[in-house]
Amino acid sequence: MSLTASTEHTVLWPLTGGIHPPEMKLLSNTTPIQRLLPANEYFLPLPQVGETAVLAIKQGQRVLKGQPLTRGISAMYLAVHAPTSGTIAAIEPRPSNHPSALPVLTCVLQSDGLDEAVSFTAASEPLSHEQILQRIRDAGIAGMGGAMFPSHIKLNPASKIKRLIINGVECEPYITADDRLMREYASDILNGVALMQQLLQPETTTIAIEDNKPEAAQAMRQALAASTLPQCSIQVIPTKYPSGGEKQLIQILTGQEVPSGAIPAHLGIVVQNVGTAFAIQQAVYQGVPLLERVITVTGSNIEKPGNYWVSVGTPIRHILEQTGFKATPDSKVIVGGPMMGYTLSTVDVPVLKGSNCLLLPQAQELADAPQERSCIRCGECAQVCPVSLLPQQLYWHAKAAEYDKAENFHLQDCIECGCCSYVCPSDIPLVQYYRVAKAAIRKTREEKLHAEHAKMRFEARSLRMEQEKLEREAKAREAAEKRKSAMSGNEKDAVAAALARVKAKQAAQGAVEESPAPTTADSKATIAAAVSGIKAQNQETSGSNVTNQEDKKAAIAAAIARAKAKKIAATPTLTETLTASAPAQAADKKAKVAAAIASAKAKRTQAADTPNTEAQLSAPNATDKQAMIAAAVAKAKARKAAVENTSAEVDNAAVTVEASSAPTTLTESTTDAAQKARIAAAVAKAKAKKASSATATEAPEKTTAASTIAAAAKQHTEGNMPETVNTDGDTHASVSLSDDKKARVVAAVAKAKQKARERAREQENN
Amino acid sequence: MLIAVVLLTLLALVFGVVLGFAAEKFKVEGNPIVDQIEALLPQTQCGQCGYPGCRPYAEAIANGEKINRCPPGGSATMEKLADLMGVEPEPLTATAETQVRKVAFIREEECIGCTKCIQACPVDAIVGAGKLMHTVLASACTGCDLCVEPCPVDCIEMLPVKQDLRTWDWQLNAIPVKTL
Amino acid sequence: MAFKIASSPHINRQLQTSTVMQRVLLCAMPALVVQCAFFGWGTLIQVILAMTVAMCAEALIMQLRQRPVIHTISDNSALLTAFLLGVAIPPLAPWWLILIGTAFAIVIVKQLYGGLGQNLFNPAMAAYVLLLIAFPVQMTSWVAPITAAQHSVSFLDTLHIIFSSSQIAVADTYRLGIDGTTMATPLDTLKTDLHSGITTADSLQKLIFNGWAGKGWFWVNLTYLAGGLMMLRLKLIRWHISAGVLGALFICSAVAWAWEPLTHVSPLMQLFSGATMVGAFFIATDPVTAATSNRGRLLFGAIIGVLVYLIRSFGGYPDAFAFAVLLANISAPLIDYYIKPRTYGHLRG
Repeated sequence: MSLTASTEHTVLWPLTGGIHPPEMKLLSNTTPIQRLLPANEYFLPLPQVGETAVLAIKQGQRVLKGQPLTRGISAMYLAVHAPTSGTIAAIEPRPSNHPSALPVLTCVLQSDGLDEAVSFTAASEPLSHEQILQRIRDAGIAGMGGAMFPSHIKLNPASKIKRLIINGVECEPYITADDRLMREYASDILNGVALMQQLLQPETTTIAIEDNKPEAAQAMRQALAASTLPQCSIQVIPTKYPSGGEKQLIQILTGQEVPSGAIPAHLGIVVQNVGTAFAIQQAVYQGVPLLERVITVTGSNIEKPGNYWVSVGTPIRHILEQTGFKATPDSKVIVGGPMMGYTLSTVDVPVLKGSNCLLLPQAQELADAPQERSCIRCGECAQVCPVSLLPQQLYWHAKAAEYDKAENFHLQDCIECGCCSYVCPSDIPLVQYYRVAKAAIRKTREEKLHAEHAKMRFEARSLRMEQEKLEREAKAREAAEKRKSAMSGNEKDAVAAALARVKAKQAAQGAVEESPAPTTADSKATIAAAVSGIKAQNQETSGSNVTNQEDKKAAIAAAIARAKAKKIAATPTLTETLTASAPAQAADKKAKVAAAIASAKAKRTQAADTPNTEAQLSAPNATDKQAMIAAAVAKAKARKAAVENTSAEVDNAAVTVEASSAPTTLTESTTDAAQKARIAAAVAKAKAKKASSATATEAPEKTTAASTIAAAAKQHTEGNMPETVNTDGDTHASVSLSDDKKARVVAAVAKAKQKARERAREQENN
Repeated sequence: MLIAVVLLTLLALVFGVVLGFAAEKFKVEGNPIVDQIEALLPQTQCGQCGYPGCRPYAEAIANGEKINRCPPGGSATMEKLADLMGVEPEPLTATAETQVRKVAFIREEECIGCTKCIQACPVDAIVGAGKLMHTVLASACTGCDLCVEPCPVDCIEMLPVKQDLRTWDWQLNAIPVKTL
Repeated sequence: MAFKIASSPHINRQLQTSTVMQRVLLCAMPALVVQCAFFGWGTLIQVILAMTVAMCAEALIMQLRQRPVIHTISDNSALLTAFLLGVAIPPLAPWWLILIGTAFAIVIVKQLYGGLGQNLFNPAMAAYVLLLIAFPVQMTSWVAPITAAQHSVSFLDTLHIIFSSSQIAVADTYRLGIDGTTMATPLDTLKTDLHSGITTADSLQKLIFNGWAGKGWFWVNLTYLAGGLMMLRLKLIRWHISAGVLGALFICSAVAWAWEPLTHVSPLMQLFSGATMVGAFFIATDPVTAATSNRGRLLFGAIIGVLVYLIRSFGGYPDAFAFAVLLANISAPLIDYYIKPRTYGHLRG
């Protein structure tokens, strides 16, 4: 079976550039992997890898070890699992295990010390392709070398894979997690490799190990000899940093280069870390999700350096306490190795799936880089760059913020390995410059995209507005023709239609941003309804004004005050627009009649009472009492008007004539001023109606029922924005709003009214 | 004398034909400089320059309008425009305070659903219906400010876009160091 | 406790610019000793004088630019510039010559361009060319090698010559008194001879030559070669530029010499005459003004080598290193623009 096992390739390609930093591995690789006492608290960032997930748990809920805390469906999604049993103490933003330490949403798991686990189902029979992938995915396995890329995606490539490379290189100084794992769990790793082989069906499999880990290589060789892996070999490569980088390792083993911007799968190669192989084996055969990993805790600030099994989510503070961290002023906590690791500003952050090392160096051990000097263009950085960049050119451009030029020098191909900074005689933090430059380039690119997007949206909107304007004009013309033909008709609709036409005309002329576009066939009736809708709305809000509770007064007063202040500061530019919340319905006859009556009344009232109503409304008082008094005055007036107009309700012809000639006979103009005044009048009248029906202190159901229907129709008429959201057919939606909401609505309406009125007055003055 | 006249006439004829041909053959559609200018503008469509949108301002610049009228673009855009137009950079008309990208935010409990902001938004980045709460699509918002003024209840504010792990700009010095 | 935030990598090779410069100077020291042994104390005095002036000029400029003075001058780069100028000018040149030269090198050529790393031209060579053009008499009268001169000039006499107020008069007395103390360099002599129809072989019989190269000059060049190899070994420089210079010079002169040995200088003499070795290892390798990439540096060196050969053979100046280096400096940005290494994962550079 193992005919070709442990055949070693002898052909190796040299790594471009690279350095030989002091290895410092003996500090931590002499002792077996140990366990630490469990922590009391675990921090589980949501989600760690891949976005778009929803929480599956609530605060205060008890969870078991291995229970997934999130659900998600996107391809990149990986579940977060509880590392032990306990209760979710909090779900809140906490500092992240990231160089920026920016807060991310984190589940805080309070351990109950029982470590109760959900039952893990071991695989009983041979699993299918899909089953294996599903298990890997459910286990939340991400690349454990540091990049944390979801493994189930990498193991399900679109193209044919010729070569599988298992990365046990671990080229960074200090880190020995993979070294110890290979020494102690060689056969488990090979089981994981076997699973990967089953998934990928590669022609050859290579396990690459650096020659500074002879014990690990020996252990793997022995395990390989005992296994039945086909076409698998151990390849010992020379120690040189950064041989362990995915692209660099491919170059060393195959002589091929991964094209810029592509992934190794393009070359038919997949690279997986040994730690990932181990985790896959656990997930598939035992059903255990990725709950813990080996982490190297090392550096001379640590009393007990070594490798430890640590649950994902364990606070780093806990690990440091357990391993005897001797904190000194200005000590560094580095996550990862000395070449690519990042410093933490706080240790209250969790261990992530990709955290392979905690480095706690003493100040003299890894001395801080001295002050940056001028670049002398010595070119040492170019000599050691593993991707053959010209770091000093990049540096000039990055420093001068000439990011486009930096891009021409292939800044995006920089792997941030740190070789250039390592050799720089002027102690220039080159990698830092590149990171800043990369971030800036990414930002610029996103801004550009954003601008393009905005432009598209703007153009689409302009187009739509233009179309709506044309439609509106067409409607108005159509309405005018219909009116002519309907003049002979003797139906009540005619009144409404006439009013609607006036309204439509006014809207077309006066509206700045209003966009009415009637869409129903029965446009006459709906327009009429719309007219009354505005009134009804005012009426309703006025009604609720009366029903206000004590505690809302302050809010209203504040809102009014704000509105006033705003008035003074700014000039009103928008016409009053009120839309309805109820769904569009076919306006029934009754509603139409009601609407028509209302509008007719409004006309009259306005003609008679405009000055008075204005007087009443122009004093939006802060106190409820005053408002009520004012309302009462208006009511009285309106009632009088209503009585006077009783005949108008029946005398259709007269109203029709009057309405159709409204622009000239009634108000002498079709300006906004007239419209505003009418609306104000309608409000007053509506109040009066309410008072007369003795429902002043209650929500006026009957009137609002009619008005909401009307308003709904109006919404239809107005042709709302595409984003408009309709609620379901509750006609009392606006009535049943919470009191709080009402108060705000009242305040807003008051403000809006005042705005409108002032403008009306201005125009009158003009 | 005659020869000279004939020669000059011939020359004029020949060059006239060449010029006419060139004008037809290498005809420039539109005004390419306007496109170039527009590409530099931030496309917020905010109108702070006094023109209704970025394209009109680009056209105005091509016709000699000042290049310092675009606050959202900041001095970076102004410098690029100066470079393109071959004019001296000038200080921005507005203060450079608007350098940080901001997006509008509607305090939803205060929103009365008047739709005025929806109508004001040049890029349709606000959704909502009448009397229902509105909200801003932060990803589409250009931070142009135009929705703030129309709001009758002043419930819209411009919030600076927060950095997250993905958009972090590696300013290590900006990390607050906690003393424990 | 507060944890320190730093950017990766957290380790450094701990080889600073100042150390690099210091080691380069140390590698050049044996050659200075040999030069003094053959040409008297003058060179040492000039070097010390130049270093003093360089440090003062750099400190002054740093003060004016309001930059950290100590931090900058401790990078030792000014010392190296001063050293190279000091060994390049005639040992008995008057004091103001080296003062003007060094001040020009530091203030104009280096700091006005923005300081270390920003200068377009090699400061020492630019200053040398300035002096050569402005003061041709002082710059072309070299001291004869001690072995060739009848008398050696004592340290105090040398000081007297250099710092004398009426320098020319004093030098003349010495010149009159001590016959053959100053004379043209071997390359100069050879050139004059070739122009006047004397064959190479005949010219080489003169007192100034040891048979196939200039007396003393050969040894000085040999020590510089040794120093250069030492620098290569210490990885202070890479081999590309030096190999380019020497290779191109050797090939050019070998071709010419093979074609007509009587009127051409032998390649070996070319390599061990004048400033060839100090130039190839200590001057041309100044990274600031050289090309960046390996292939670019090879080309950069080759340009210098060819130019040196052309100017030595056909130009008006006997030794051409300064001109060749300056011309190559001009072309360095162009070389860098066209010769870029192929980045990993890209088909072309």
